[in-house]
Amino acid sequence: MTGDFTEIGRALPRKEDRRLVSGRGRYLDDLAFPGALHVSFVRSPHAHARILGIDSAEASEMPGVVGVFTGRDLDQMTTRLRLAPPIEGLQPTEMTTLPIDKVRFHGDPVVCVVATDRYLAEDAAECVTVDYEQLPAVTSIAEALAPDAALVDDSLSSNLVSHQSLNVGDPAARRAEAHRVVEARFALHRHTHVPLETRGCVADWDEGRAHLNMHIGNQVPHPLRSQLAARLGLSESQVTVISPDVGGAFGQKIALYREELTVAALSRHLRRPVRWREDRMENLMAAAHAREYECRTRASVSETGRILGLELEIDEDFGGYCFYPANYMARVIALIMTGPYRIQDYAYEVRVALTNKCGAGPMRAPMAITSWVMEGTIDAIARELELDPVELRRINALGPEDLPYKMPTGEILEDVSPRETLEIAVEAIDVAAFRERQEKALAEGRFLGLGLCTVIESTTYGSEFYKAAGIPGSGHESAWVRIEPSGAVNASVGLMGTGQGYESPLSQAVAEGLGVRSEDVTVHMGNTDIAPYGMGSRGGRGATAGGGTLYLCALKARERVLAIAASMLDLNDAGGLRMRAGQIERMIGDDWQETGLALPDVARRAYLDPLALPEGIAPGLDFSHSYDPPAMTYSNSTHACEVEVDPQTGAISIDRYLVAEDAGTVLNPIVVRGQQQGAIAMGLSGALLEQVVYDGTGQNLSATLADYLVASPNELPEFEILHHHTPNRRTPAGIKGMAEGGVMGAIGVIANAVSDALAPRGVTIERLPLTPQSIRALLRETAPSSTKRTQP
Amino acid sequence: MTAPTHDPLTLSLSVNGETHEIRVPARKLLSDVLREDLALTGTHVGCEHGVCGACTILIDGRPARACLTFAAQMEGHEVTTVEAMGRPDALSVLQQALHEEHGLQCGFCTPGIVVTFEHYLRENPDPTAEEVRDVLSGNLCRCTGYQNIVAAVLKAAARMRGEAA
Repeated sequence: MTGDFTEIGRALPRKEDRRLVSGRGRYLDDLAFPGALHVSFVRSPHAHARILGIDSAEASEMPGVVGVFTGRDLDQMTTRLRLAPPIEGLQPTEMTTLPIDKVRFHGDPVVCVVATDRYLAEDAAECVTVDYEQLPAVTSIAEALAPDAALVDDSLSSNLVSHQSLNVGDPAARRAEAHRVVEARFALHRHTHVPLETRGCVADWDEGRAHLNMHIGNQVPHPLRSQLAARLGLSESQVTVISPDVGGAFGQKIALYREELTVAALSRHLRRPVRWREDRMENLMAAAHAREYECRTRASVSETGRILGLELEIDEDFGGYCFYPANYMARVIALIMTGPYRIQDYAYEVRVALTNKCGAGPMRAPMAITSWVMEGTIDAIARELELDPVELRRINALGPEDLPYKMPTGEILEDVSPRETLEIAVEAIDVAAFRERQEKALAEGRFLGLGLCTVIESTTYGSEFYKAAGIPGSGHESAWVRIEPSGAVNASVGLMGTGQGYESPLSQAVAEGLGVRSEDVTVHMGNTDIAPYGMGSRGGRGATAGGGTLYLCALKARERVLAIAASMLDLNDAGGLRMRAGQIERMIGDDWQETGLALPDVARRAYLDPLALPEGIAPGLDFSHSYDPPAMTYSNSTHACEVEVDPQTGAISIDRYLVAEDAGTVLNPIVVRGQQQGAIAMGLSGALLEQVVYDGTGQNLSATLADYLVASPNELPEFEILHHHTPNRRTPAGIKGMAEGGVMGAIGVIANAVSDALAPRGVTIERLPLTPQSIRALLRETAPSSTKRTQP
Repeated sequence: MTAPTHDPLTLSLSVNGETHEIRVPARKLLSDVLREDLALTGTHVGCEHGVCGACTILIDGRPARACLTFAAQMEGHEVTTVEAMGRPDALSVLQQALHEEHGLQCGFCTPGIVVTFEHYLRENPDPTAEEVRDVLSGNLCRCTGYQNIVAAVLKAAARMRGEAA
């Protein structure tokens, strides 16, 4: 572990576990609201259709029904969502709370039924009749961008909702002088987040105070409150967002969704608590989808395999609605694509298309495809030039002598170690021994493969990044630390955990800064009346922005505590004092010795005997702090895995999986390990099994967990994690983010490993997921002409 | 065929050793009755089609999906939920092992896993990792990657057998 820390880096088990393992957690649907009404949404059965009429007469008369509301009704109660940041090539979009004129995907919410009971609301929803005129459905990027395509959003000039490009250096010249130009293709399929707890909310309008309490599992309570207030025409003083325990989010619980806004508006309209619990089918069809990309690369390389220039095209299928600016995710992929490698001549073109599918949003590692594309390109070069893929990585990878390194997009890498993690992973997996096993197996007709994938993970976007990207918003975070008169330590921050286990690591950040034990700190999150306005949890910012801000705030508190302690000890200043485990210690000679004074003594003085405080020190011990991290913080890792592919069945077994990871200073190794394992699992699950499937008419065919497959323990290996800690010199305590890179690495490494395994059969993986059916289809397409391996 | 009636039935439901007289519609799911009528919210509803396992409870000592069971079917049976297995201040051996091995993150799937393995470890007190993985495949976890859950179950099994672990 890095740094001279006593609390940061301790392997403390999580504080939230006791309630969660015993079934005493309080998730949204566990909260009771007497007299609450329940809603059920009527959803579109069509991908693209005009709404000609809605007949709710029968439903309105049914038992328990309080009201039936349409897009027109909601348009009176809420404002529309307009997204128009001044970004070149981005078309501004606007959407109503519920559709009024037409629906844009299978599952689009059209009517909201409110009843006294969820069962009755669902009964009534079945009796609402909507008259539709079907329109041609746009179900792929190619269809969306065809010249005669039907418009998904009638107010736009085309389905190309966002288009950006960049050209740095002279990639065309590099191509002209290159020994070889290697092209590669990558298609990542549509995923969805599948938090075990679906979405939901309880809106509780307090008529007397004219105040809305919005109970909702959400990652970003403050930005959500701002948006909710604005769209209801309320002030931020009139809305409190309260997030209880949350059963997973993975990026799905950031946006203010239309269902949630509807529920809030109806609570105010009906002057009653109104609640909604999404069912699993709704979650799979309509919550948010992610990741549907097609990428092409063109690498200009020298004879030895040095990459001279790289050109990248990204097309994204964004679905029917923009809950986020449409350039948001794809552009980050393009910005960080060159990642671990020394490349200065670089061009990209990013096109984002609207289609008649569920709207896309960020999902844990919104830039997930990046590492597969870069590392798959490296492997493509190795194949074409018949070079050793490890050696090829070595000669292109950034080493310590290259740092800080300014990527062609202007992004700066410092305090990262891509070449080191590569060497650690290569040594641990023992590539030479594997190659021998692989040869031997091939002679027996068995197909083993080794994949490598080095990841540069962007985490913790600072305000400077948003500013440069032209997006309004901030990357700062805010915290307070309050020492109570008894010496109890309370703290808060604008984050909201959705299962990561923030309570222990954030307590450790406070404890380190202040000089108390983590066990004696309580961090309160998820209530906008209690927490300071912060930007919440997303983009791997929990540790750096959240932990970092708390740490800095606690340092501020410690300074005051020690100043008061100095006066209590009749010292001129606090120079020779420190606090450890809540005890004030004094340096005498070369030794820290107890003074007999402890935090509760100082706290009592600060609150209850303020006249005895030194001049200039105000009563109480209440501190706040805000902090804006660097434009971007980067961590890195190298994943390596061995697979065996059965050509008869298309089944893939993962025989070994390891990752060498540089996550800088770690607040709590237990929590970090859990995040690493969980991220890898999500990446592998997505690459091997998961897939949102639409048919050619835009019908969603994967709206149950029997159709949308999530990995069980039988598909996942044990993960070996090797640590390498390079603290970030520009963040508090050297913290970096790390919770998304595992997804990036897993997708890349498994694709590369399967390509390696099937190389003798002439198969290269250009498309995920790697289901047995897809592997068998690839093998059928390529006749088994040779079983000789061309790679070293 | 007559229209369905949603008039409540009177049921006698035995849960965690306690008998409750309740009036609920015949179509109400056991998961909803436990959570809404008996305030036992540890049984979580994750999918309502029997795949995710978050609602796993014991019926007469055998694991079952509360979301695929009507409360009305439970007359004359004994239902056991996670609330009977340990409290925050007095965790069961298995719950303690899950805590120590970091076998949970968001915790939404965890009660179903606890119930599954409280039963399984009584049937098979000395399982292999592979057997644990096999049984665990009935419970989806989206956060952990399962590795620590398997480790926790093996640790709990060893402790229950009286071995140091």
